[in-house]
Order: sequence, then structure tokens, then C-alpha cells
Amino acid sequence: MSRPRFETLALAILVAIAALLGATAAPPRANASLTTKATDAQNATNAQNAADERSAVIYPAQSIPLRFDHRRHLETTKLTCVFCHDRAATSRRSADLLLPDAARCDACHGTDHERLETVSAGVGPAKDCGYCHDGYRATDGNAVARAVLPAPHLRFDHAIHYAAKIACSECHAGVDASTVATRAMLPTMRTCLRCHSTSRAPPNKPAGGCDVCHVTVEGSRLQTTFATGKLLPPAWLNGAEHGPDFVLRHKDVAAADSAFCGNCHAEKECVDCHDGRVRPRQVHPNDWLNLHAMASRQNDPNCTSCHREQSFCITCHERAGVSMSGAFANTAEQGRFHPPRAIWTDPPRTAGHHAWEAERNISACVSCHTERDCATCHATAARGGRGGLSPHPAGFASDCRIAFAKNARPCLFCHAPADPALTECR
Amino acid sequence: MARRRLRTTAATFRRSGPGPRLCVGAVAFGAALSRPAGAYDATVDATFDAQLYQVTSPFGSPALSRHRYTETLSLKVYDLQGDHDPKAPELDAVARLRVDTDFGVSPEERDPTNERAFVPGLQTTPLDIMMAYVEGRNYVGGLLGFRLGRQYVVDALGWWSFDGGLARITTPVHVAFETYGGFEQRGGLFMLSTSRFEGDGVSRGSRNGVPVDLDTSYLEESRLAPAYGFAVESTGLTWLSTRLTYRKVIDRDTVLVSPFADSSGNFATTGGDRVSSERVGWAGTLTAAGLGSLRGDVVYDLYSQRTSEYAASLDGTPFPALALGVDYEYFVPTFDGDSIWNWFSHFGTTTIQGRARVQPVHGLTFALTGGVRRFVTEGDPATYTATTANATGSTSADSSLYDVLGSLDAVYKFARGTGSLRLMDEQGDRGKRRGGDVALRHFFDDGRYDANGILSLYQWSDALRPDGDVASFSYVVGGGYRPFPKTRVGIEWEHSMNVLVGQRFRALATIDFTVL
Repeated sequence: MSRPRFETLALAILVAIAALLGATAAPPRANASLTTKATDAQNATNAQNAADERSAVIYPAQSIPLRFDHRRHLETTKLTCVFCHDRAATSRRSADLLLPDAARCDACHGTDHERLETVSAGVGPAKDCGYCHDGYRATDGNAVARAVLPAPHLRFDHAIHYAAKIACSECHAGVDASTVATRAMLPTMRTCLRCHSTSRAPPNKPAGGCDVCHVTVEGSRLQTTFATGKLLPPAWLNGAEHGPDFVLRHKDVAAADSAFCGNCHAEKECVDCHDGRVRPRQVHPNDWLNLHAMASRQNDPNCTSCHREQSFCITCHERAGVSMSGAFANTAEQGRFHPPRAIWTDPPRTAGHHAWEAERNISACVSCHTERDCATCHATAARGGRGGLSPHPAGFASDCRIAFAKNARPCLFCHAPADPALTECR
Repeated sequence: MARRRLRTTAATFRRSGPGPRLCVGAVAFGAALSRPAGAYDATVDATFDAQLYQVTSPFGSPALSRHRYTETLSLKVYDLQGDHDPKAPELDAVARLRVDTDFGVSPEERDPTNERAFVPGLQTTPLDIMMAYVEGRNYVGGLLGFRLGRQYVVDALGWWSFDGGLARITTPVHVAFETYGGFEQRGGLFMLSTSRFEGDGVSRGSRNGVPVDLDTSYLEESRLAPAYGFAVESTGLTWLSTRLTYRKVIDRDTVLVSPFADSSGNFATTGGDRVSSERVGWAGTLTAAGLGSLRGDVVYDLYSQRTSEYAASLDGTPFPALALGVDYEYFVPTFDGDSIWNWFSHFGTTTIQGRARVQPVHGLTFALTGGVRRFVTEGDPATYTATTANATGSTSADSSLYDVLGSLDAVYKFARGTGSLRLMDEQGDRGKRRGGDVALRHFFDDGRYDANGILSLYQWSDALRPDGDVASFSYVVGGGYRPFPKTRVGIEWEHSMNVLVGQRFRALATIDFTVL
């Protein structure tokens, strides 16, 4: 099969099967699975984030079917928050229900919620249950819509914050000017970070670390999977947004603050790829065995973040004959991996000479060659080489003293101890 | 991960947790400092993978049969001190073991007396301990933390492993000090170690049984390599995360100096303590809550006396549906102090990239990346001749080689699965590589079953080898079954075809499960 025809055929198959696969991406079923629910929740999370920044993963959707005016109660009636939300002052868990009991309204509105099955109407406007209970109709009798307030997936201790005299509005901004409180008046991560930090705080500071607020599993590791979706870092935090390209750029985030990653990820998740058992396809796509040579040619340092060239790479290359050493050493001119000798290794040094590649991308050389291959030409005659072609950059002789003192082995590899070239390095 | 709550006492733990003596001692030490033992949690998980495929030499032969079997077993025991409290002492123990063997390797390839087949360093560690340590945090009023055992260190100096101890002091002024010491994890040693974490540039392992004149670039490694380091870092600040770190590793073995025998037929050797690696690094991140972050790092190699890496990134989120970023990176490879290759690189490679993440609709995310990679050459390859370089290597004016980089990633999460698209293109003076994958994972029956497929089309050409212009088409089909929560049995079939080696096949079977 000729190459153009091969490529056209392959492309056609690719497009056809992609279209087929895309067609199977059906909309959600009514009896969705756990997977379905999680995905839906994640989509909802994204929508929620776009709308008001409150994570739907942390704060599940809630419903408070009440008519209420916080501003009026706070400004006109001069009530304090804990007058109604009295349990907040002693609450230790985020799951505690802190909505006032309905009986709390009775003193002012003349109602009687003591027995919820036989609630008495109040006086004035409150004589109608619908005055407070949104959606109530006279035909509903004693039944009203119930508030749905799922517990947030957080740790929170209201009592500690109350005792520390932190005003309610510090975290629940906007409530004092609102009617019914909504999720938009719940604190965001940014709110918490005004006092708390994402890393362990000194003992005399407010507690720090992700596990101070977030729910944990396995000790201090955060729980990241909930029925409401997947917990992911916000885009602004440490540049760690887990987008589609994050796997290829996460190294900078990990290098800068690996403890930050460790809040959610166990080390075994790292080694699954970095010291892995199966090729990670996000990094190494299909046919990588053939493709990797070109990737290495272009920029081999990418490879060294996971692979040690002189053990992982070279053992396979020696077995496959892609090496100058080993039982299947490929030293023949025909089938060379590199350009012909006249261009690649012989003088004069022209545009296709290996020296440019060695200077630019020495790691790629190291994946196939042993030191002996280089020493053959670069070592001095006294060390068994063919003439000591210097690979050193300009000005090297004046900088070699420290390196020689720390480890002289590579110097002595090419230079005999009595070599005058080493005089400046001693 | 499934967990089982275990009520226990210290005596129970002693019976069930053999481990290295060092780790047991640390547990006792930590337990003595922490609150009385109440309960601990444990997870045990294991993975089994079998892979069958063939590696065909680009020259047609040999063709290697890979019959790989890999098994991992992980244990984590945590909250040994009792119930978790973020402000109270914590004590955990972690271990992970692995068997990684290739039944396609012939015994002759591992026989050092067989000069025609022996491959030095080939699978010297089929069984290794990836990590095994005890960690304590928040001791002495939150001031002290420690780790003992085989552990990883991840920071600006890279991803590294050693056997030993680490202590961390958190001061009341947002500064923490960390120091560690022990022995670098190296292949060829007697402690179920791999060579993954030692400096590159030398082929090293046990030469036991290898004739002195065979594979002379394969260096002896039978002695422990001492290593130590320290770090200063910020703590308790969200807007700033910064760490300054230093590490030194020492080579001790007596090794061949030259791969060639001298005139009398002897091989010169060198020994004694000498630097394997000695580097200092810094990394820091400034975060503006709600806006973005600025990140940077730099690594200086004290042995080769060069800045081996520096990088910076700026990320911003102008709108929830849009994130933008730009990365700058300079990198020049450095090697073990025993290696000659530290002295071959002249300049590093600089890469500048811009990034954008867009989420146009719920569940659909695009990530677009584009940039340039630049390498400065010492002299212009197009006009360079040997006569333009004098004896010290100075040359004509510097020149540059460029690669243009671009990629597009897209992920769509729908009701019962995920679809993704990945396109990439890198081209420049040394050739081009471009292509893409379309992948789909679909769940059935409440996630009990899953199916996945990948289609790939890539094309590449090597400017140094015009005959190496290749197009490759591959597909993967696979599926999995979850008989229990957190347990999956999967199979996968991969078929690749290209004009270089023809058809290639790969079969994979996996089992992942949690014991506790």
C-alpha cells in the first residue's frame, strides 16, 4: 500500500469511527447510575461555579421554601443573628441544622408552632400561613413545603468562630441585606483563606491545611469523590486547575509545592505513572514504541522526568540492536539510525554533524550510547582514544577546578593523570 | 477506597505489623508522643497486569517478545494515634511492593558469562520496595514532623527516593526547616532497590560475575551512596509557597576510570568519596485568591557549576469559563558526577508557551497550547567548519534552532462516560511530529461494565533521516467488569500499523482490587 493511500484510508477510518463513537454519547437516562449522577453533578458544579462561585460539590443544592426578610429583621427589628439562629453559637459540625425552629417565630408573630401537626395561625399578616411558607395554599391545611438543606461536605465549627467573636457577616456576607438566605451567602474558599491557609500554620496562628475545612479519608487526605461530583482545585489556586492539559504540565506545580498535591493525592497515584506498570496513554499515545524516537530527537529532557536513560532506555536499545554496544550492536553502515558516517561523525563538522545534537540534546545520545562510544574519539590517546577531540564549551578550562575537586572521574576518563590539560583543573 | 475501621491496641499492631525495625521504632516513638491509641484505619490494595507485545527493531531484527507481568501490593495504616484531628499529632505507615518481570527475557541475557547475549543491568530488580515509611505530623504542639524509612522527596530538585530519616520543624513565624539523610535508592544494591532515582549518565549495577574487560562502561555499584539535604520553606501562608532546598549524594564505589585497557592490559580505577550530585534549588508560588498565580523555580548544579533549570509560569482566570497561562522554561541536562556527559551540553533549551482553557458549555472543556522551543548553538551549523573554532572551542556567532509547538485537548463528560480529543503538532529544524487521538470510555449497567476505544493517527519525519518519514494508525479496544466496588478486571487490545515495522499487536489484562 502506498503511503498517501495508506494515510487517506487511515484518516477515513479514524473519522468514521469517531463519528460512530460520538453517536453513542447518548443523553442521560432517567434511572441514571452512580457514574451518571456524579457526571451530572459535575456539570452542575461547573454551572454553579460559573454562576456564583459556590461549589455544588461542597454545597449541594438546597431549597428553603420560605418568605423571609433578613434585612428587615436585622435593621428594623434590631434582632441579632443568634436570636433566631441560637444553635449556631454551640454548633460543632457543619451537618448541624441551624435554621431556627418554627417556634422561634411565635413570640413576635403570634403563631404557635409548638406542635407542628396542629400549627395555629398568627395575628396580622401572619394569620395566613402563606405569609411565611412559600407556595402554601389554603387547601393545603397543615402541610407546608419542607426546607431541604443537605449537609455541606465540609468541616466547620461555628462555636469556635462564635467564641472568637468573628461576626456572622464575615462569612455570610450579604445576608443582612437579603430576603431569604441562599447558597450565594455561604462562604467560599476565598472567605476561609482570609484567616486560614492552605498549608500547615504555625501553632500560634489559625489552623492551616486543607483538612481543616475539607472532609478527609485516609488520615489527612481529602475526600475528592462525592455523590455531588468531584472535588477539584479552583483555577486560581497554585496554577493547579486540573484541565485536560494538566497531566502534561503538573510537574511545575508539584515541584513548587508537592505537599499541596499531597493533600488529595497519595504517592501511589504518582508512581502509577512515574514508575509505572502500564504506559500512560495521555503522555505516550498509541504506537509509542515507534513514535518515541522522534519525540526523543526533538526534546529528550521530557523523557528524563520519568525514565533513566542509562538503565531503562539502553537495556531495551541494546536488546533491539539500536545501540553501538551489546550483543546486537548496530555498527553497520546500512540501516544506521543516524545519517551516514561522512556527515554524522567524520570531519569537517557540518550542519548534519552529531556535535550539534550532542550539545543540544545529549540525553537522547545517552539513551543508546555508553561512555565508551564517545571515548573512542573524545578520549586522549593516552586513555585509549583516537585523539582527544574536545567536547568542552568555550572557556571550560578556567571553570573545571571545582568539578575536578568534587569528582575527578570524568576528567580522568579522557585525560591521563599527567595530561597537561588537567593542570588548570588541579 | 474501601476502608475497614479497626479497633486495636498497640499490642495488636505489634502482632500484625512486622515491617523494618526502624519503622516499628518510629511507630513506638510516635505513639508515645501522641494521644492514647484509639483506632486506626487501613487500606490494602493490589494490582496485577499482564502485557504481551512485540518490540521489532526498526532494522527488522531482532524482534523482542515482551511477556511482562507486574504486580503491586500497597498497605497504608493511618491515624495510628487515634481519630483524625487536623490540629493533633498524626501517625501513618505506608508500604508498597512491586514485582515487575518480563518472561520474554532469556536467561542468556542475564548471564554475565555469556558475552554474546548478556545485557548489563537488564532487570536486576524484579522485586522492589517502592516505599516503606512511617510518618508523623503535628507533634510537640505542631512543631515536629518526621519520616523514617524508604521515602520520596519531591521538590525543585526533582523526584527522588532514599532510605533514611527526615525531620521537619515548623516554627511560629511561617517558616519550616527540613533536614534528611540516608542512602540514595540505587539499583544493584541488596535492598530491593531500583536504579530509577540515581543520577543519569552512567550504567551502573552489580558487576558480580562480569569479566573486567566486558561491558567496561557498566560500573560497579555495590556500596551504599550516602545522601543528605535540607530545606527551608514557608508554611501557613496561602498567598506564598516557597521552598529553598539543597541535596548532596556521594559516590563511593571503586569504578573503572577508562573503558580501555592501558598498554599493559590493565584497567585504571578510581574510588573514594566523590560527588554524585550536589544541587541547590528554589521554587515559589504567589497566589492571588480568585485571580491567579505566579510560579517560578531555579536549580543550580554545584558540581557542574551551571544553572541547569529555571522556569516561570503565570496563570490567570479572567472569567470562570476561561483560564489563561504562559510558561517559560530553560533546561540543560545534568548527570551523575561520575558521568562524562555533564561536559557535552553547551547551552540549554528554552521553551515559551501560552495556554488557554475554555469551557464553552457544561461538561465540555478545551485546552489550547502553543509556543516555541529554542536552542542556541555555539556557532551556526549552516556555515560552521572546524577551522572557525580555535583550540578552546570558541566559534563564530551563535545561532538558534527552533521548534514550533501546538496542542489541543478537549474533554466531554456526558451522562455515562467521557469522550476526549487530543491533537498535537511539533515541528522545527530537526523534523516534525503531529497527530491525534480520539478516545471514548462508556459505562454500562450502573458502572458495572465499561468499554473504551481509542483511535490514533500520527505522522512524523526526522530531518536527519529523510528515509524515516512515517505515518502510523492505531486502534485500541477494551473493556472492564467491576464485580465489587473498587475492583475492576479489564482487558485491552491494541493494534498499530506503520510502514516502518508493519503490524504490531499488544494485549493487556489488568486486575485492580482492594483487599480492605
